[in-house]
Order: sequence, then C-alpha cells, then structure tokens
Amino acid sequence: MLYQLALRNIWRNRRRTLLTLSAMIVSSALLILALGIFSGMLRDMLATATEQYYGHLVISAKGYQDDRDMFRNFPMDKAIGNVLKQDEILGYSQRLRSFGLLSHQQNSSPTEILGIMPSQERTVTSLQDSLIEGDYLTSDDPNGAVLGSGLAQRLNVVPGDHLVFVTQAADGSIGNDLLLVQGIFSTGDVGHDNTLVLVPLAWLQQVLVLPGQIHEIAVKTDQPLNAAAFAEQYRVNFPAALEILDWGEMLPEMREVVASYDVSRMIIVIILYIATGLGILNTFFMAVMERTRELGVLKALGMRPGQIRTMILLETFIMGSLGVLCGAVVGVVMSFYMALVGVDLSGTLTPITYAGGTILPRLHAVIEPGNILIPSVCLLLVCLLAGFLPANRAAKMQPVVAIREE
Amino acid sequence: MKVTIYFKTLLLTCLLLSGSVVFTLAIDLRELIRTVEQQYTGQSSISEVEMTVVTGHWERHLKMESWSLGRERFLVRILAPVKEKGVATLKVENEVWNFLPKVDRVIRIPPSMMGGAWMGSHITNDDLVKANHIDQDYDFTLLEETNESWRIEGIPKPDAPVIWGKIIYQIRKEQLVPSQIDYFDEEDILVRQILFDDVQTVSGRTIPLKMTVLPLEDPKEKTVMHYRKLQFDVDLKEDFFSLGHLKGRR
Repeated sequence: MLYQLALRNIWRNRRRTLLTLSAMIVSSALLILALGIFSGMLRDMLATATEQYYGHLVISAKGYQDDRDMFRNFPMDKAIGNVLKQDEILGYSQRLRSFGLLSHQQNSSPTEILGIMPSQERTVTSLQDSLIEGDYLTSDDPNGAVLGSGLAQRLNVVPGDHLVFVTQAADGSIGNDLLLVQGIFSTGDVGHDNTLVLVPLAWLQQVLVLPGQIHEIAVKTDQPLNAAAFAEQYRVNFPAALEILDWGEMLPEMREVVASYDVSRMIIVIILYIATGLGILNTFFMAVMERTRELGVLKALGMRPGQIRTMILLETFIMGSLGVLCGAVVGVVMSFYMALVGVDLSGTLTPITYAGGTILPRLHAVIEPGNILIPSVCLLLVCLLAGFLPANRAAKMQPVVAIREE
Repeated sequence: MKVTIYFKTLLLTCLLLSGSVVFTLAIDLRELIRTVEQQYTGQSSISEVEMTVVTGHWERHLKMESWSLGRERFLVRILAPVKEKGVATLKVENEVWNFLPKVDRVIRIPPSMMGGAWMGSHITNDDLVKANHIDQDYDFTLLEETNESWRIEGIPKPDAPVIWGKIIYQIRKEQLVPSQIDYFDEEDILVRQILFDDVQTVSGRTIPLKMTVLPLEDPKEKTVMHYRKLQFDVDLKEDFFSLGHLKGRR
C-alpha cells in the first residue's frame, strides 16, 4: 500500500517530477561522459608511456634503469625465457641501448639508439602505427633505422638517406657505422620524437662490441594496471643479478597521476552532486510542504510516523532509481559515441607530455564500469539524503496543527 | 710575438733569481698561465703522443700524431691501434670535427656534445676548444709562493663562457712548468686534476712530457698522455688545417 501511495504521489504533479528527473538524468549522464573522457585521457597517457617506449614491465640488470650504464648488460637465458612464457604476457622485446652522436652531412645531433628485433618489438610497442614516412624495420634489415620526426627534421633526412652513428663502444674504442633511414615516426611525445632511433639489435651489438648482450627486455601484459602484481609474482626465483620493474616504478609520476585520478574523480562527483542534491532537496521539501494537510489527515487516520517517513523515502527512491537508470543509459550512449568517433582537437591543441605520458589532442572516451557505477550509486545516495529531511519533518508533524495549516 | 714571450720568460726568470719580493709581485700571472697552457703547442708544433686511457672496464693505448698552429688550429690523427687508425680530430677556432675512416665521413661535433669525451679519454672536446683561452677567460691571483713554486688561482671573469668554477695552478719556478693543475666546479668541489712529470728540454724548451688527467669522481680512471716526439716552430700554414687534411688526403 505504501508503495502504491508513493507512486501516485509522484505522478500527481507531473511537471515537478519531470523537472527533478531531468536534472538527475542530465547531471548523471554528463558526469558519466566526463569521467569516460577523463579515463580516455588517462588511458592515452599510460599507453603513450608504456606502448610507445617502456612496455608494462622491464627486465634489466640491477641498477640499469637508474644510470643506463652501458656495462650493466646481460645475455638472454632460460630462466628469463621461462618467466616470459606466462599467459598474461602478450609479447616481449630484447633491447640494447646506446647514447651517441647521429650525423648526416653537416648536421649532427645527440641521440638514444635502441637495438631491437623488429618482430619482437612490434608486439610490445606501437611505434609502427605512428610512422609518417617510410616503413618499419624488417627482420632481414642489416642496418636500417627508424627515427623520430623531430630528429629527422634536425638532421634533414628522409627515408633512403645515410646516417653515421658514433659512440664509445664497450671496449673503449670509437664505435661507428652507417645506418640507412627506413622510416620516420611521430608520436606526439617530444622527447621521443627528438631523440629516439630504432635499429637492428645485431647491428648495435656489433657497433658496441657487445655480442649477444642486451640491456633490457620490455614486456607487454594483457592488464597494464596489474603490472605491479605480475612483477611481484615473477620476482620469485628470478636471477639475482636482474630486476623486474613495472611501469609504475619506472614512471613514478605516472603512477601518481593514476592515483590522483581516483581522487579527482571523487571530487568532481561530490561537487556536481552537492548542486544536484540541493535541487532534489528543494523539490521534495516543497512537495512535503504542499501536502502538509493531506499528511495530517493521513496521520489522523492512524498512519504511524514511521510509515509516513517510509512513504516519502520510497517516493525519492523511486524517482532516484528512475533518474539513475535513464541517466546511465544516456551517459553510456554518449560515451559510446565518444569512444567510437571522438572529437579531434589537433587543429587547436598540441600534444602535452606530462609525467612521461602524452595527452593527445582529442576527446576520446573509454567505458569503464567504475565510471558508470560511481555516479549512479552516488546519485541514489544523494536522492535518499535529500528525501530524508522532508520525510522526517512530515513524520514529526502534529496531526491537528497540520490539518489546520493553510 | 715569439720574441716577446721569450723575452718575458727571460725577464721572469731574472726576477725570480733576484728573489726580491717587491719584484715578484710584478710577474704577469696572465702571461705565465698563457705560457703554461700553450706549452705543448707554442706558435706551431708537430708531436707524437702515446695516450693511455684506463677505466674500470677497459684500458687502451693509442698512438697519435698531432699538428698545431697558434691557438686556434689543431689536428690529431690516430696511428695505432689498427682498428682506429686514421680516426682524426680537427679543431679550428670554436669548431671541432671528427673523421671516421670506417664510414669515410666527417662529423661536426654539435655544441651540445662539447662536454663529451674526446677519443674516449678523460679530455673533453671543450678542453680542446677552451683550454687555449683560459688566460683570457679567467682572472689570476697569486695564492702562495715558496722557494720552488707558485700557487696561482684562476677565477672566471663574470661573463666568460667557461666550464670550471676555479682553477689552481702549481707552477715550478725554476723551470716555469706546471706540476699540477686542479679544476673545481661551480660548487667549489675538486673534480679533476692534471699532474705533470718527466720534465725535459725539447727543441729549446723545458716542458713536462708526461701529463696525467685524473677525473676524481672515479679513482680507478685516468688518462695519461706521454709525448714521444715534439718539435716546435715548424713550417705549417693555415690551409693545412682543412677538412681535406682531416681525411688524411694531402
């Protein structure tokens, strides 16, 4: 009976109900969309940091990631190979790194060179998708090079040009050899676009006089946000001279960005819902005030205060659920549109590199359960809270005073 | 010019011998440092040097020949080991080029790489470019004087484009040669030492033939340059210091 009463009360003043409902729907739908886009930006940042360079996990000699000392190298062996057989590992790439001078005719520039095996590297990083000229390295390429667009511009090279790379080899000699430009990539990350060069692993091993040695193995997993847990798991029975780091340890700023995202998400939800909550409170208060007489009659007829409170709370709960449901549907539909199509802002904005990741100039949503659940649950709570005050007031009214009220 | 240097050196020596405090104050410190910094090059020179570089990971011995003219021109080519034979460096004024025979290319060292090691040693490209300007870029004061030596401190002029925060020279009075040079960074921390030994008289000049560079951050590392042949005031023209000669084509 209480339920029916509540339903009837809701539909008695349609205009008011619809206005309140639309406020709830719009606020939750927009919040879902905003959080989706926010998550999209975060995903872009994490992806640029890990999928363009680091990988989700990196295996290297202890201390190598701190000083990138050429002599902290190691050979690939069975123990490492066994770890890399896990199901959640989607791919790994053996790399050798060197810093040196890259030169073409009168132009020269300091660079970071990564010796890679193309078939392995493309399972970890997605640089092959960022090519703007030429092609990616192929497995039988003896001395090809794929370099960043900023570097290519500074050296004034196009695919087909020769480059000279000079560095100090592991035996102290002056390592130098020719490279042939194969492709040019542009990732939006200025640091990589201006300094990074990919070359065949065997070529770099020969130039550095480090046959068979590598500096790191970059690993891609199927759950980037669980990388730390995987790393912890693999550390058991791992060779003592080596260490496994997850992206959070290599990019602590990035980990903080991810953590701060959860906080800022809550702050946005709270601010928006304080405003929405006040609106809902206002509506319900008015609805109760309007019905003072009627509630007084109900009480005089023998309805207990608890029942009146329950009835009004039921009203708010029904409206809240309706609002949440419609809001979620509209929000998800809008997020889907932004996920599939998105908005390109590259005409007005340039990419921003921050904490090792790059925020791309686009609005692109990702759909995560949390981004829909959190706004929905919060809206419902706000609704019940807003209904509680007027419900309490109604319950405490004296029937005689209430009936006399104009 | 040459005559003036000789004259001043002579004058200095006379002053020294006289031993008068009043007169020693009159020594031209700037001129003295200039002489010290240019001891291996002079007006022009040809030399053969053996360089030993020791690090925690490797040790290597290089044999090189070098030519110099005035302050601004300098060419050095590796003679041994075979793997690096023909690798050469040319410095003309503020520019440094390297020639790599393996790939037959000349590479200009960009300003950002000037702090990098030269030929894998503990000498930087900057040392090649800036050492010859130390007397112009620094102001000198006499810190201490004993019967055998002077200690002279060099502090960079306010707007001089230098890398060191302070340089202290220890100079032997008798022979007018340095025995030790200490290099300090901007935080006044001693970061590099150069020691000089094996003082001999070569083509009329008294100079230390052995020079040891110690980068103090790593006590295991050092670079030793030992001059085997040294000839001053030879007939060299400016056009000898060209990119063509850098490649070893005459």
